[in-house]
Amino acid sequence: MQHEAFANTEDFGGPDIVAGPGRIARPGQDAPYADYELGRPYDEMFTPDGKARAPYAAMDSRLSTLPLEELNRRQQACEQSFLHQGITFTVYNDNKATERIIPTDLIPRIITGAEWARLEAGLTQRILALNLFLRDIYNDGRVLKDGVVPRSMIYGSRHYRREMRGLPVPHGAYVNICGSDLIRNEAGDFVVLEDNLRVPSGVSYMLANRDVARRAFPAVFRSMGVRPIEHYPLELLATLRSLVPFQEEATIAVLTPGVFNSAYFEHAFLARQMGVELVEGRDLLVNDNVVYTRTTSGLKRIDVIYRRIDDDFIDPLIFREDSALGVPGLFNAYRAGNVMIANALGTGVADDKAVYAYVPRLIRYYLAEEPILDNVETFLCREDASLSHVLANLDKLVVKAVGESGGYGMLVGPHASQAERDDFARKIKADPENYIAQPTIQLSTAPAFVGGGVEARHVDLRPFILHGAETKIVPGALTRVALKRGSLVVNSSQGGGSKDTWVLSN
Amino acid sequence: MLSRVADSLYWMSRYVERAEHTTRLIAVKLESMVEQTPEDAAASWARVIQALTGEKTAPAHADAFAITRRLAFDRDNDTSLINSLSLARDNARQVREALSSEVWESLNRLYLRLQPVTMDSIWVHTPARLFREALEEMHALEGVTYSTLSHGEGWYFLELGRHIERVQQLGRLLDIHFSAAQAENGPKYFDWLVLLKFCTAFEPYTKRYTASIRPQKIAEFLLFDPEFPHSICFSVDRMTEALARVAPGAPPARRAAVERLAGRMKAAVDFGQVDELMSGGVAAFIADITKQCEQIHKQLYASYITYGAETVL
Repeated sequence: MQHEAFANTEDFGGPDIVAGPGRIARPGQDAPYADYELGRPYDEMFTPDGKARAPYAAMDSRLSTLPLEELNRRQQACEQSFLHQGITFTVYNDNKATERIIPTDLIPRIITGAEWARLEAGLTQRILALNLFLRDIYNDGRVLKDGVVPRSMIYGSRHYRREMRGLPVPHGAYVNICGSDLIRNEAGDFVVLEDNLRVPSGVSYMLANRDVARRAFPAVFRSMGVRPIEHYPLELLATLRSLVPFQEEATIAVLTPGVFNSAYFEHAFLARQMGVELVEGRDLLVNDNVVYTRTTSGLKRIDVIYRRIDDDFIDPLIFREDSALGVPGLFNAYRAGNVMIANALGTGVADDKAVYAYVPRLIRYYLAEEPILDNVETFLCREDASLSHVLANLDKLVVKAVGESGGYGMLVGPHASQAERDDFARKIKADPENYIAQPTIQLSTAPAFVGGGVEARHVDLRPFILHGAETKIVPGALTRVALKRGSLVVNSSQGGGSKDTWVLSN
Repeated sequence: MLSRVADSLYWMSRYVERAEHTTRLIAVKLESMVEQTPEDAAASWARVIQALTGEKTAPAHADAFAITRRLAFDRDNDTSLINSLSLARDNARQVREALSSEVWESLNRLYLRLQPVTMDSIWVHTPARLFREALEEMHALEGVTYSTLSHGEGWYFLELGRHIERVQQLGRLLDIHFSAAQAENGPKYFDWLVLLKFCTAFEPYTKRYTASIRPQKIAEFLLFDPEFPHSICFSVDRMTEALARVAPGAPPARRAAVERLAGRMKAAVDFGQVDELMSGGVAAFIADITKQCEQIHKQLYASYITYGAETVL
């Protein structure tokens, strides 16, 4: 007899047909949508009166006819598969390490061809402007002289790297890999919530989720003309190669902090998919400003490094001297032009909360175009009009300290007491430059398979933008989902999961 | 190949081999103990403990349950089956990009299957069954490795790890049996038969020498048979071959240092004679081969893995 946990769990099969017109299940009333709530937020699948939107019609008819036990079985098979593949992160508790999978929801999120075309154009515009901005502030500082962005905001940022000033960067491409977080607002429009310009992660989950959803709903998948994303590693490789003139001959490596990093699976995955070396800091050494890796046959020169280590840790001689993850001398080799590093150092200055608010202005300034994708409305307390608006509306706004992250130094107005708001008002008045405010954001909802039925859960969207000699965006994204009912937190450390994103050809 | 990757592949393979050896000894011992008197079974368990942990005396009052638990599932026992598998997996995880998905998943599944097992759950029916099933999975892992991984440098580092470990484990097992051959509670006929089973050698042995079980023939077979995969000779041949294939671009002087040691060990095995060894010489011969393995291990690291960068720039 086979051990239960040892049965062939990779089989996601079973009958899968697209049902014809039949029973119509209504959200909030019929199984499997009995607990599906339609409220104020935009719902990806249903219109406010409970009809499935056109792109979701096939999925709706499949979900309405598929026995829930079968869906459950497929969900479990998927979790087993992730566990076996080692797509896990490690949680340390009481000195015991527990491996957990990041929850994956089977039901894909669907984006139409037209919606995608707009996203693609908007994200391309954005990455161009951000790269022009980075080149500018590390060279002439035109944008600062023209008073578009305050000087103090840039030179005062702890992510501004003086060491990068005047350094030539191939194609002016500072950010080669960007993962932008977007949400869909109540009107159904995509808006950008933040740009991750340092070492964004999650692309391996985008690819793993595709595998899951395609196996869970093969017939629906086939019938819908979903655009492929499997060439992402190839595009990434091409982007990295485009940073050096002798492209095909370049030796490329992915630099990882090591097996204890929560994104280690992704680092190994990308190296394997691209067919390049995965290296740790201890595998590299710098001699005479050239970077080598230690191989069994001797030292081998490295030309391009896709680094998954933060600026601070990459070279103990220049940045944090207590870093054991980095490579002493790496920055000098970079400065000498003997190795390319993607992303370039110092890109973090362009993705903090204050600069974010300026991105629409940067697009107008550098490209003389109107932004295609909007930001979430953001009030900069350093500007007088905004400051008085923020102080008058503290009960409706979320206020964030610019330099902080992870919820520290943050006021959620509607949930705070009057005393807390008064206290925060004093802080803002004392140091307005350090604060921004945004309206409370409603993330859209999408169907998720939870608790034996299909319910609405909040989602965001993280597409991955590649930028070297040219800009490439694979038509797909990581859709993160807050699996707790009502929760807006899509972060994996707080009950968030992810799901596949289907971009349709038309 | 990155030196660190070679290092991890080598140790992954050693730990897998150690886990397999441990599993096989436990399975065979559990199956054979029912046919032994309590005294003989205790003496035989003591030899298994010594072979797997190096401890010369069995813990007092230890029964089969306690011993099996210690050898298989005790996290405090460095060489327990579960620790060996866990270390193999940790090493594999660090070089996932150098392994095929099939190899990694096969090893990962095996670990995830054994990791939650409790002694109580396997002891109620036929305890040996779990170990037999695990052995099957280990053989499958070996097959998957053979058939899905390119037989390039990485594969040869796996081969090196496997066979260096095998020589050491096999050597220890033979040493324990042949050293005790003249002693009062030394191995009896049945114990020699079990020794062959410990090495999956019973059927191949009988094909070669018929079913007459004689210590001298066993020594000859397990030391010098060039075709049987669990003989010292076979493993030494594989090591020699693997050493010729790894680090193809290394400087000649570094290669020569490793290959000289390999050649010396191969000569010792190729020209060894069992009749010269029988009067107490088996132990000395094994001690010599084990020492040579350790020297090869050291030189392998010095030449290809931990060499100083200043020596090549």
